[in-house]
Amino acid sequence: MAETVHAEPPLIAGEAVRVGEDGRPTLIGSVCSDCATRVFPPVPLCPECMREDMAQVALGRSGRLYSYCTVHVAPRGWSVPYIAGYVDLPEGVRVFTHVVDAAEEQLSMEMEVELTTAVLGNDADGEAFSSYAFRPRRPEGDDA
Amino acid sequence: MREVSVIGAGMVRFGKQPDKTLAEIAWPAVKQAIDDSGVAKSDIGAAWCGTALGGMMSGQRVLKAIGLTGLPIVNVENACSSSSSAFREAWIAVASGLYDVALVIGVEKLTRFGGGTLPLEREDFEVAHGMVMPALYGMRAKRYMHDYGLTAEQLAGVAVKAHDHGALNADAQYRNRITVDEVMAARPIADPFTLLHCCPSGDGAAALVIAADSVASRYSSKPIRVLASELASGKYLTGYRDMTTPEITVRGAKEAYEMAGVGPEDVDVAEVHDAFTIAELLYYEALGFCERGDAARLLEDGETSLGGRIPVNPSGGLLSKGHPVGATGAAQMVEIVRQLRGECDERQVDGAKVGLTHCTGGGISGFDHGACSIHVFCN
Ligand SMILES: [Zn+2]
Repeated sequence: MAETVHAEPPLIAGEAVRVGEDGRPTLIGSVCSDCATRVFPPVPLCPECMREDMAQVALGRSGRLYSYCTVHVAPRGWSVPYIAGYVDLPEGVRVFTHVVDAAEEQLSMEMEVELTTAVLGNDADGEAFSSYAFRPRRPEGDDA
Repeated sequence: MREVSVIGAGMVRFGKQPDKTLAEIAWPAVKQAIDDSGVAKSDIGAAWCGTALGGMMSGQRVLKAIGLTGLPIVNVENACSSSSSAFREAWIAVASGLYDVALVIGVEKLTRFGGGTLPLEREDFEVAHGMVMPALYGMRAKRYMHDYGLTAEQLAGVAVKAHDHGALNADAQYRNRITVDEVMAARPIADPFTLLHCCPSGDGAAALVIAADSVASRYSSKPIRVLASELASGKYLTGYRDMTTPEITVRGAKEAYEMAGVGPEDVDVAEVHDAFTIAELLYYEALGFCERGDAARLLEDGETSLGGRIPVNPSGGLLSKGHPVGATGAAQMVEIVRQLRGECDERQVDGAKVGLTHCTGGGISGFDHGACSIHVFCN
């Protein structure tokens, strides 16, 4: 039997993130068909008007870093230190995230960041897990 | 609604007591409050017990130890605001005329979880993605530093003041004074916080006996009147939020001041929820003790230290007195009751007439905090 090879450890974000055939992630939110309230992660019920008519939408891949801080002490499983942050997406949604590919000194408030994925820790069985993350925005075409 | 006063207060020193059960931690505080009040056990109509992580039937387990059973006992969970929420339920019941005398307990035993950050609800999306309370407050601090020019040294000053006060409180978990340099050099937890920017984990309990004013003077020569008993939950926002101002506290303070018929300028002493250094500064502004962006100046000018215009956390606060989550709200009230009775010796705020307690917490995605409870008292 052929061995299954995973290109990347499993994502823990459930239906909140999709990875396309090109390997690029997209965050998924919900928009209310009635009152246009937008929510991340996706939910079945509108928290504004209570209608159960939410459509899933792909959210923008880049946003602005509202705040961030390096976390040195976290529950078992997370690879510390890591940088926690909040990213404001142009759709009016704020997303909690890990910020990767940068030291804290390289970050600044309101800087442009873009979506990626990253290995963030190990589960109880010692298996690595990953999720969506943001990193400082790179110039167009520099997708390495 | 009838007027209600606190007639008894008790607490045990906060700290790590892994070898004691929850009931063993709490009963001395309850006994002290009842003895202090002068009521007989049989006078107590009902009891409310606040605990965040104490487990099922915490109030019954505690009251079994002192033989106060058979009465209605209600267990209340509201994270850090558990026992201040319990107090509000008791206040409603006495004010409405259902009972003349009621008991409030706050208790927590955090040592049963080991050390580290407070265990949060794993079903929450952000918690499942690595949110911890120090990171939430850390991001608030970083943004405030960016927006208002607060420095790490100024922030460390909050911990120094807390320990200066806690050194004078026999019930405080930490009774050592510290310097800004020691705060800055401690083990990093979540930037900009070192260990000394964060409240310690521990165990503890506090209790209060309240009574309708119509019977209070029968028991107590120094009843402390409840001017306002306020509780709010956080507003869930799906979008952006200004993390440099705690909306739940701003909203709650407005309600509490209206109910009490006093303003922030009338408050002589306050116990606020300084779970992390930045929190105390945010609450100076949210409670109206100073304007937005002025909190560091207020601290540096000594206005919130003992001897200042509005001493904040004379008990040492969460940073020095400790923060056994469910016990904190009741313990804040014990401090304010003792301040308003003039019983605080070296840390007494001279001539204090109006005191305020503020207790808020509960990390949930999309909320500022899950709950916030503010009380105003006068002598
Ligand atoms: Zn809607």
